[in-house]
Amino acid sequence: MNNTENRRDRLLKKTIEKVLAEEKELLSWLKSRSDYQAELDYFLDITAARGTAEIEARVGRPVLNLLCNQVPLELIAAAGYQPVKVASGSLAEASFAAYSWPALMCPVIKGVLTKLEIDKAALKAPWVIPTTCDWVVKFWEARKMVDPSPGEVKFLELPHFRQETESQSKWLSEVIKLKEWLETVSRQKIARKDLLEAESALARVFVAVTQLKKARQEGRLSLIWFLLVIGSLFYDLPDQWAQKVTELINKLPQTATTGPKVFLAGSPIFYPNYKLPILIEEAHLRVVADDLCSSERIFPPVGPLEDTSIHGLLASMAGRYHQGSLCPTFGDNERRVNNILGQRNEAGLVGVIFVVLKGCHPYDLESSTIEMTLKNQGLRFLRLETDYALEDRQNLLTRLEAFRHSLSGD
Amino acid sequence: MRIIRLKNIVQWLSFAILMYGGRVGIHLGSALPCFACPFVPGCGGFCYLMGLQGYIGFGLFAGLAAGKEILVALGWFVVFVALVALLGKVWCGWICPFGLIQDWLSWLRNLVGIRERHLTPTVKKGLGSIKYLCLGMIVVLPPLITAKILPPDLYLPFCSICPGKLILPLFAGETKYLAINLDNEVTLWVSVALVMATGSSMVGAFFKDRLFCLFCPLLALIHFLRPLTALRLVKEPSFCVGCGACRRNCQMDVAKIDQDIAQVQTIECVDCLRCAEACPSSGALSLKFFGLTIYSSSRWDTKGLSL
Ligand code: SF4
Ligand code: SF4
Ligand code: SF4
Repeated sequence: MNNTENRRDRLLKKTIEKVLAEEKELLSWLKSRSDYQAELDYFLDITAARGTAEIEARVGRPVLNLLCNQVPLELIAAAGYQPVKVASGSLAEASFAAYSWPALMCPVIKGVLTKLEIDKAALKAPWVIPTTCDWVVKFWEARKMVDPSPGEVKFLELPHFRQETESQSKWLSEVIKLKEWLETVSRQKIARKDLLEAESALARVFVAVTQLKKARQEGRLSLIWFLLVIGSLFYDLPDQWAQKVTELINKLPQTATTGPKVFLAGSPIFYPNYKLPILIEEAHLRVVADDLCSSERIFPPVGPLEDTSIHGLLASMAGRYHQGSLCPTFGDNERRVNNILGQRNEAGLVGVIFVVLKGCHPYDLESSTIEMTLKNQGLRFLRLETDYALEDRQNLLTRLEAFRHSLSGD
Repeated sequence: MRIIRLKNIVQWLSFAILMYGGRVGIHLGSALPCFACPFVPGCGGFCYLMGLQGYIGFGLFAGLAAGKEILVALGWFVVFVALVALLGKVWCGWICPFGLIQDWLSWLRNLVGIRERHLTPTVKKGLGSIKYLCLGMIVVLPPLITAKILPPDLYLPFCSICPGKLILPLFAGETKYLAINLDNEVTLWVSVALVMATGSSMVGAFFKDRLFCLFCPLLALIHFLRPLTALRLVKEPSFCVGCGACRRNCQMDVAKIDQDIAQVQTIECVDCLRCAEACPSSGALSLKFFGLTIYSSSRWDTKGLSL
């Protein structure tokens, strides 16, 4: 028993070293890029220092961890917490999890389970988990193996049909219950004023995100920097982050990069696993838009607020994070593809790259339906199945280059 | 500029012209497709419903004898149709003074933080049928009054119970319609009905955006002429992701607006464009004039956000 434990501890220690090395390598590579500029340092720094304690020290409020995109960030913020979406793109973290968990499991969740062994403070923070895919649903059970002491957790039962009126009202009651739970764990009432302030702060973040999207579409910001900047959102105070984004946008070059314009869809890509974005760049393809839940869809679009009563604000939140979510776990998600078709002319798209992380079943299934629809509409489609391992780099690059040729006809 | 801000400016300007225009010599005629109330002293134009009742009642009967009245009635009808053909439901969302007053009530409700109440589809359908009753009243009662089958005190039957008649003159300092008319039993009941209709419409519009518009016979008339209208809300379903932002922001709770269909403009829609402003998908919802896009939803538009 002791031997096994020692072995595990040694392995974990090694994993921590590997995680640090992975990140160090990526950071120095990022800084050596020709499009690196000093304004990006801010986002690199907060991404590097994203441990729970470091975030809390930076933002001056306690962290609340969450999974997926259905948790209303502004509600968490209104309760006085820093919402942090926990994810992992680390190969070392995912590999360590293989020690205890199934090989064909979602690498993001595997990575998160290891992350919790490294960042113990994350375990102690409260969690909100919507019941999206199977891996997420079973996550808490697995998490108990890491630390059996029960932490505060709120499950949001996600109705899987976002267009159904009944599902929508059920979800609204989940959001109302979430508010009550937050009031209990934070021991403070969430007032209308708190909600309005949090909504406004998120709206300012959304304006900054829109600027980032525009800059990327214009070819002034690469996918890699886009992913890094947008992913750092959770590690900072909203206004500070939005301010830094504006400063960055103002300093971006006016010159645009070239290459066939493509849309990136499918499973999320998390720091520091930038294998695919790097390969896409190496193949001279230019991602001008995406619908990854780690990127453009990091939170649903913010809109005008018409009913600003507490109930009205909760209802609008509930609608945005449920009906407005394009998560593949929904059973009536066919219209998700319109997000790509709608941007086709506007962004000048010629093709779509669809990423499937091995073990990510909902995206895997959707890749087939989306492929059929897009091909019928005359868009070229490339499906890439991969994981965090680096062995398939050359294979992926060859496929991406062939795709580029098919798009540009050379 | 935010499209809703522009709409507000147009609403205020229209309010000023339609309520006070007459004082500076502006009069836009007697066939306006909105509640420009003739009972407002010094108003800048008349709601077509008043003329319509008059023509159906007196014009029709007298006109049979004196031909000229018929021509006048037809003339105003053509003007009404032309105005509707030109602007469609923009009359309701952007111009109608009574619409603006209802918007003030919603604003007040928001200010004090009271939630909006939403009607269930069944209740909405039931209440919505009141507008057909009103239309029926406009068409059927005037000839019966002219033919002396009904008492003359019921003259202009819809106007007698229209909340606009009680509320709008107040803005011109005219308070006489607040009083219960005790001349006889008919006037007593008519004025009681007016006070009740107005009270319930105003209380209703406080709790539910534009509740009165659900009952408004003008909205129904405008909708019937929809095939002729040049200005209309159009949906491109292939750009819609079904996020529901349009429906959540719709002041008339148009249930079809977020569906996967092109014909989304139902009878209740007032062309307020809140849906298009809220829609995050470029080109999914547009306002078109003779097929030409005047305003369109856009993923880049963040002007409507509460920053
Ligand atoms: S529907 Fe509303 S806005 Fe339109 S005319 Fe009637 S009261 Fe005015
Ligand atoms: S459907 Fe759109 S334009 Fe029509 S009433 Fe609703 S929000 Fe206004
Ligand atoms: S807001 Fe736009 S994208 Fe969303 S459901 Fe309505 S029309 Fe569709």
